[in-house]
Amino acid sequence: MSYARRALTVAWKDLAVERRSKETLNALVFFSLLLLFVFQFTLGGDRERLAAVLPGVLWLGFVLSALLALGRTFLVEREHDCWEGLLLAPGDKSAIYLGKLAGNLALMLVVEGLVLGLFVVFFDIDLGRALPGLLVVVLLGTLGLAAVGTLFAAMTANVRARELLFPVLLLPVQVPVLLATVKATEALLLGEPLGAVAHWVKLLLAADVVYVVVSVLTFDVVLEG
Amino acid sequence: MVKTLGWVAAGALAAGLVMAFGVAPREVTQGNVQRIMYVHVPLILASYVAFVVLALASLVYLIRRDAGADRLAHASGEVGVMFVGLGIATGSIWGKPTWGAWWTWDARLTSVAILFVMYLGYLLLRGTIDDPERAARYCAVLGIVAALDIPLVHFSVYWWRTLHQPPSLMKPGGFTGSASILWPLLINLLAFVVLYAYFVARRVRLLRAEAEAAA
Amino acid sequence: MPDNWGFVAAAYGLTAAVLLIYWRRLAKKEREVERLTAGRSRERLTAERGPERLTTERSREPSRTGHPRPDPDSRPPLQQ
Repeated sequence: MSYARRALTVAWKDLAVERRSKETLNALVFFSLLLLFVFQFTLGGDRERLAAVLPGVLWLGFVLSALLALGRTFLVEREHDCWEGLLLAPGDKSAIYLGKLAGNLALMLVVEGLVLGLFVVFFDIDLGRALPGLLVVVLLGTLGLAAVGTLFAAMTANVRARELLFPVLLLPVQVPVLLATVKATEALLLGEPLGAVAHWVKLLLAADVVYVVVSVLTFDVVLEG
Repeated sequence: MVKTLGWVAAGALAAGLVMAFGVAPREVTQGNVQRIMYVHVPLILASYVAFVVLALASLVYLIRRDAGADRLAHASGEVGVMFVGLGIATGSIWGKPTWGAWWTWDARLTSVAILFVMYLGYLLLRGTIDDPERAARYCAVLGIVAALDIPLVHFSVYWWRTLHQPPSLMKPGGFTGSASILWPLLINLLAFVVLYAYFVARRVRLLRAEAEAAA
Repeated sequence: MPDNWGFVAAAYGLTAAVLLIYWRRLAKKEREVERLTAGRSRERLTAERGPERLTTERSREPSRTGHPRPDPDSRPPLQQ
């Protein structure tokens, strides 16, 4: 089986499992709704404060959803005793990584789209001209989260205190991505053009390249046992 | 060898202490509290050395699977986290009387705090995995990811704090370059780097002994 | 500005304390490993000696007293 074919098979398998069970999707949507409500309770009346905090809260929602989604990304393999299957897979195991990454990315983008939509509706936000730039930032930021998240999820899949260790490892490393996305989102929502946040976008691009390349190169090492 | 290193470290630290309190002058604006700089800065810089060694040792391990490289990374991580933690604490203690606050979110403090938490995670990962070979592998990967992340952290935090926002607080103790301040600083820096080397050498020796005992 | 010697003492004191604690922890762990390897060697020694007494064959191993030590130059001792 060719490399690309193997990657696509893994991605397709994950998405198919998710489409059938919708476990992760449900958890994420419910969690996002919860975030929305809490946000409304604390800041709903004051539109100015809301606008000021919105980029941060939006990405908080994205990140926490990402933690949930990524933390579970190898759950299926673990629970159904398929982990050895992964270890024994022939050929370059980084194909598995790319497949997982693609699947996670798709799932996270769907949830983020949903969350963004809910925020726009419930808080009467005018995205307008900001939308294309926002999509770029969201895509790059999500890729960054997913790239390292998938690698770390594989590393913590079989260790003690996995659920605690995974966010502890992921979040400090992701600070550049979080900073870049929040600051860029903030500027875009204030009406600035994408060019004004070019440095943040470039940082995100650089981060994404570094993360994906390192993960592809080291995934084999992680899946040695 | 380790013992000699220990004595050199002790001697250098003693010399550093003498210079920090005997040679270094009383600072004009801050008073004697500025003497904290002579432990704070060396601790931070020595921790940087530790993290560079950790990154390189991790790389060597991934390429050559040499257990010695893993032990070096492990020891370096331990000492590095200890030093950077102490660096943050002493910086905070210095900051309270001079800035009026235990903490600020300026670029350097934020970056160092992220560094601390990242490498603390490294130690936690080590502690969580029982199989030594797997621990070595996973920590090597984490060590490399962390090292590659450092420039990204640096730039993102720096841009966050400087773009559209002037630096709000002066860093304490920016030295004028006079010899009576520079030399105590350099001696103390040397002392802490030697101390780092001593601790790492001793820790590596202990790790090797523990590995042989378990074999 | 007042000198804030209290803060200076706190900073230096904390540093000294933490470094000392780490140093002592290293020493303690070294003693533990030494004890472990010594005990392990003793076990090996008695296991080797035991069958010797039951058979008439002489062991080829030279008689030893105390802990069997490898060539002292080949391994750096833990306690210097």
